[in-house]
Amino acid sequence: MTDGPDARPTHTDGSADSPDAGDSAVDLLGIDAALPCGRDPQPLLEQVTEHGAVALDDHQRGCLHCQAALAEFDRLWAPMRSVAADRPQAPPGVLDSVLMSIRGVSEDAEFARIDEGYGHTRISGRVVAAIARHHAARVAGVRGALGKLDRAGHRRGAPDPDFPETSVHSAQPSDMARGPQASAGVAGTSTAIEIVLAADYGRDLQALADQVRAAVVAGVRANTGLEPVSVSVVIDEVLLPREASGEPAHSNGA
Amino acid sequence: MARVAASTLDPRREAPDAGPPPAGLDHERPAPRPPGEDPDVDRWLVGRVVEGDADAYEELLRRHRDRIYRIALRVLANPADADDVTQEIAIQLWTGLAGFTGSAAFTTWLYRVVVNRCLNVRRRRRPTEELTETVHPSSPGPEARVVAGQELEAGLAALADMPEELRVALVLIQLEGLSYAQAASVLKVPEATVRGRLARGRAHLVKQMRSWA
Repeated sequence: MTDGPDARPTHTDGSADSPDAGDSAVDLLGIDAALPCGRDPQPLLEQVTEHGAVALDDHQRGCLHCQAALAEFDRLWAPMRSVAADRPQAPPGVLDSVLMSIRGVSEDAEFARIDEGYGHTRISGRVVAAIARHHAARVAGVRGALGKLDRAGHRRGAPDPDFPETSVHSAQPSDMARGPQASAGVAGTSTAIEIVLAADYGRDLQALADQVRAAVVAGVRANTGLEPVSVSVVIDEVLLPREASGEPAHSNGA
Repeated sequence: MARVAASTLDPRREAPDAGPPPAGLDHERPAPRPPGEDPDVDRWLVGRVVEGDADAYEELLRRHRDRIYRIALRVLANPADADDVTQEIAIQLWTGLAGFTGSAAFTTWLYRVVVNRCLNVRRRRRPTEELTETVHPSSPGPEARVVAGQELEAGLAALADMPEELRVALVLIQLEGLSYAQAASVLKVPEATVRGRLARGRAHLVKQMRSWA
């Protein structure tokens, strides 16, 4: 424990009160009893729990009883300050099974593949989407962002066998023009991403989309080594700045 | 929904660079808004979740999972139970968000769900509570732990021994920083009741700490 100040009041002439245990401010809590100076100890406890043991007014600064009470409360409250400062996070993985069951097992089937000299690296499409979301969310003017793999090709049919995920050439520009499958999620070292976001009201949305696109491309490229060949930006909502409105604002659709 | 731009090929794609993001991207702010503190974004996400958007649901959970877990952990004083409650809440919300009318902040509704779930867990396990270590501690009491420099453990032990309704008020306001009005809304009691519970809870704690001296 961190020792608090001595709770025993000491007068300026060197004499000291020697309160019995029954005189403790703690004993006076909740029984409508006041300190010898007439102050209610309950507000002093609130003061300590919210602001610490610093005296707030002239009376407290000159009153040994109040100072003793503040010191005692401060000492006894120290463990709760430790609890308040301790901010445990949800254990990693605690929600994974829930999200998997909601998404379905097939949702995470796409992997990018990067061939290297002694093997290959596979990166889950969901990882790419999460990285894209992270970078999009950091752009000024973006209030919330969702990163999704652009599965347009998959929605229209099975992936084209001519463009297997193991091919590093499957999504080059010339191939992109041949069919929608090449733009689906991740293929080889290429990835197509869709960003859905809520933006601050009043922004130039086209410029914001360009900034988001640039940030996502740079971030995904830097973090994964994959090449974003397509970044779609969908402004799904605009929200009034909270500082201006003070209340939730809704403008459905941009 | 307005599609502002779609499927634009990156013009810099011909010059790949796996290094850090270009310095020119100065529109990136250094410190993003802390997650879970923007009720407007919560509403936007909830609206998408109700329409079946699993990505929006994941984002919603990401923003609130730590607070869900922390409230459960502090109210239940048991990490395994807190894990269970966090998972149960995640399952419940996916289908239960349709019940969120939007008349209050999403967090108010969410914390009410969490608190109610925690109280149900406590009531289920209450018959065996007399045998738990919290009630009959085999290890030193809070004050002894304080002396040993274990303030956190002392505080957690004292918190675990508090009456339920005082503890919930203290967790929401003192530990999680909710306002009196927010806590009152979560607990569906008058604000004066919440203030009274918090004051009694604080007094209870300091008395308990001293009683172990």
